[in-house]
Amino acid sequence: MKNSLKTIRVLVWKDLVQEWRSKDMLTAMFSFAVLSLFIFNYAMELDPASRADLAAGIIWVVIVFAGTLGLNRSFTAEQDQGAFDALMMAVPDLSLIYFAKFITNFLVMVFLTLLVIPIYSLLYNQALFAPALGLVLLLGAWGYSAAGTLIASMTVQTRMRDLLLPILLFPLLMPVNMAVVKAASAVLAGVALADVSGWLNLLVVYNVIMTTISIMVFAYVIQE
Amino acid sequence: MLSKNKLLDILTILTVVLFFGVFAMVLFYAPIEVNMGLVQKVFYFHMASAWIGMLAFLVAAVAGVLYLVRRNPRSDYLGASSVEIGLVFTAVANFSGMIWAKPIWNTWWTWDPRLTTMTIMAFTYIAYLLLRRAMDDPARRAQFGAIYAIVGFATVPLTFFSSRLMRTIHPTIFGSGETDMAMNAPMYQTMAAAVVMFTLLFAVILWHRVRLMAARQHLAGLQAARDEAFDGGGQHA
Repeated sequence: MKNSLKTIRVLVWKDLVQEWRSKDMLTAMFSFAVLSLFIFNYAMELDPASRADLAAGIIWVVIVFAGTLGLNRSFTAEQDQGAFDALMMAVPDLSLIYFAKFITNFLVMVFLTLLVIPIYSLLYNQALFAPALGLVLLLGAWGYSAAGTLIASMTVQTRMRDLLLPILLFPLLMPVNMAVVKAASAVLAGVALADVSGWLNLLVVYNVIMTTISIMVFAYVIQE
Repeated sequence: MLSKNKLLDILTILTVVLFFGVFAMVLFYAPIEVNMGLVQKVFYFHMASAWIGMLAFLVAAVAGVLYLVRRNPRSDYLGASSVEIGLVFTAVANFSGMIWAKPIWNTWWTWDPRLTTMTIMAFTYIAYLLLRRAMDDPARRAQFGAIYAIVGFATVPLTFFSSRLMRTIHPTIFGSGETDMAMNAPMYQTMAAAVVMFTLLFAVILWHRVRLMAARQHLAGLQAARDEAFDGGGQHA
């Protein structure tokens, strides 16, 4: 167990350091997110009231779309440089690779969320600093990364790669999308967390199911 | 494996006969629904197709599990065939639903849980077919197909429950105290007959399709062996 945790920590650290040194992916995701916020502004020139209602939806859409950029990259280093075999030999259990990639993707999503929310607040002059919103988005990021890591590990090995990832991933994410947007809009409108417990339960159930299945099947994805 | 199969022939003919039988039942035996009139008759095919859509994707998920456990190519053929057929029936269910919805709900489309789930499910399995097409190695293709069929099917109930947390106008036939549609005995009988016939139809097409895939694979193997025999002979001579 201790050994596993150490393996995961090393793998996550490796990916984070690798990304931090180039910052290619973070820069791309950040630019994409901000540009999308600008597009939304001009696509829906709304009065302040309806804009406030749409905030949760817009933020989540931006995070989901920008997130696919990061997911697409999450296995490319290993795939392109033939490091998968070395990685598989280095870990005591193949599912640890999934765990590590999942945690890295989750951290990237959280980082992205932490960038998008203040920028949205700034651009649209709407205060969004609510712990309840943070909880909903964290649960969403968990589900998104759990499904996204598994799908990215498959698409990176196909011919269509980046093209295929959103097509495979988005249908699986529908429950997450609905739950996050509904719960987040309710929370932003001042509804108590207890009153959106249905959506939160759904998110937790989805996350647990998706993470469990991914761990079970991941070995089949990377083994020849 | 590739020779003619008597049972399959009999089942195929039986399905064709039953198809016309059910068609006649829908037209002449089932009475016209009081509120909706003639258009309600699309229901028998609509509901049966929707059922086959679900069944086909369940079969694909089970075939996926079987493949991962046993690595038998036939499980892969079964899964892929089932998805293809399921997509056709899902499309039939969706479009027949729209034909029904327009006069009754006065709209082609509504964000009802069943409609939404069916359509998202269809896109899940279109993605499944795209994933298979993007892979060359048959063993890897089978493996990835199996995984995606399992994961995809696992999200279907969640998609349904999440869209159900919103209001619905779709008639509930099962599982609720009051039904929104006036159904009498002949209508239930026609519905049951349609469901049985469609299930048989699905099984027969599935069987044919799996045989075709196996035959194709067999042929590819023979061609490869032939090419190798000729090339090998040329090199050694």
